[in-house]
Amino acid sequence: MENKIKIKVRNISFYYSDNIVLEDINVDINQNSITSITGPSGQGKSSFLKTLNRLWESIDGVKVKGKVKINFGNGFEDVYRKNYSLPNLRQKVGMVFQTPNPLPMSIYKNIAFPLKLIGEKNKQTIAQKVKTALERAFLWEEVKNRLSDDASLLSGGQQQRLCIARALILDPQVLLLDEPTSSLDETSVRVIEQLLLELKSNCTIIMVSHYMDQVKRIADQKFILSNKQLKLI
Amino acid sequence: MMPNLTKDKLLVSFSWMAALLLTSGLTVVIGFLIVKGFPSLNANLIFAGTPVQDAILFKKPVFGGLFPAMVGTFFLVLLSVGIALPLGLATGIWLAEYAPTAMKGSFSFIIDVLAGIPSIVIGLFGFSITVFLHHYYDERVFPCLLISALSLAFLVLPYIVKTTQGAIESLPLHIRLTAPSLGASKLENITYVLLPSALSDIVSGIVLAVGRCAEDTAVIMLTGVVATAGVPTSVFSSFEALPFYIYYIASEYTDHSELMTGYGAALILLSICTGLFILAHIIKYWIDQKMRFRS
Repeated sequence: MENKIKIKVRNISFYYSDNIVLEDINVDINQNSITSITGPSGQGKSSFLKTLNRLWESIDGVKVKGKVKINFGNGFEDVYRKNYSLPNLRQKVGMVFQTPNPLPMSIYKNIAFPLKLIGEKNKQTIAQKVKTALERAFLWEEVKNRLSDDASLLSGGQQQRLCIARALILDPQVLLLDEPTSSLDETSVRVIEQLLLELKSNCTIIMVSHYMDQVKRIADQKFILSNKQLKLI
Repeated sequence: MMPNLTKDKLLVSFSWMAALLLTSGLTVVIGFLIVKGFPSLNANLIFAGTPVQDAILFKKPVFGGLFPAMVGTFFLVLLSVGIALPLGLATGIWLAEYAPTAMKGSFSFIIDVLAGIPSIVIGLFGFSITVFLHHYYDERVFPCLLISALSLAFLVLPYIVKTTQGAIESLPLHIRLTAPSLGASKLENITYVLLPSALSDIVSGIVLAVGRCAEDTAVIMLTGVVATAGVPTSVFSSFEALPFYIYYIASEYTDHSELMTGYGAALILLSICTGLFILAHIIKYWIDQKMRFRS
């Protein structure tokens, strides 16, 4: 079966304080697949992820040139177009960071936070979606009796799954994962890998990973980033 | 050459001594104040024979007691911090999140200069404004509680601006990016994540501001405080304040018992400041709980 393209990255260059980090990157990313990006540390793998949801715009001193086009179901949209809604883009392109980053609030409020941002007010709908997101991230059973607890009290692995659940609650079409398993034990790593394999039927996943074993286990499309360039391997 | 282990031990010993010296100094000052001031603490010192209930409900004026100065200090602090807080928070947030890099440097420099201005100069500025308004706007404008509060707000503004800016800017990048990555706007990120995460440090700045407002004498001497004004009836009234009373007694006392009332006033001022600090921390704790745990 021919792969459908979800994301087209065209001539993307990433500058940090006038130093070039990524240079003229052109890649296509397949729909409903897991795409891995590997490479040495400090080469710009995380920076590349931030070009896909324009999160670099929240960092001082960063400039990006080029275009990213994403097909959200109605043909390719230039997400670098002027006046393109950033909240709208980031609700469709979810992101999970390397360091678990629970918000300074309860477990429940953390997961429900994206729903609050889109103006969801119905408490029953919110409760149902929170439960579903936690179940998808294999966390529901562990936290169902302590939803009002401070999220920062969870273990590292639980916090990372909480962040994944939070990213999933709006059913993003694209999920960006920046070394999501780097701080986890082997069991948690396997749980998250299983989750990603299940997710890819509804979602396009792009994952930065240092672990070649993991890449071999789950990635469909593999890239390596070195010398400011992204190459298919 | 001195071995590293000896250097370490010397540094640790020096740090211990510095901490011990500081806490000892503080204990001595507070202890001295308690020993001297506590015996003169009684209802007569505060209410001077006026029935307590009548005084607290402002039914009867208190002549010769500290009650008007306590009320004056309390309102002065509340009004000053009430004016400085929204301005300081807004400026700090703007500098941390919105100011272009080129402007940020200039504004930070201006705030630093403002922090370095002696309080007597700010008092003179407040006094000049009063004279100007009296001449060119309305002859009924005189030094009063509002002018003092505005001048004090100007004095403590840099504390709140710098702590707010510093607290927000020092948050790690992964926290700053969390809400935007979920689709939050800049304002939502500030409201839901950055401010609550930086709240502890911001409250420290507010506590500093409260302390400064409560203790400063130079500013209020030129802008509205008098020795016997009674309880202020509006923000346009003259007022009494504890630091001024302490200064007045220390420089003008005629006998030993009068000096002792000055120590009593100092102890009350210390208690009011401690009470306000505790209040600030309770508010911080309450906001923190409300933000974190309301499911």
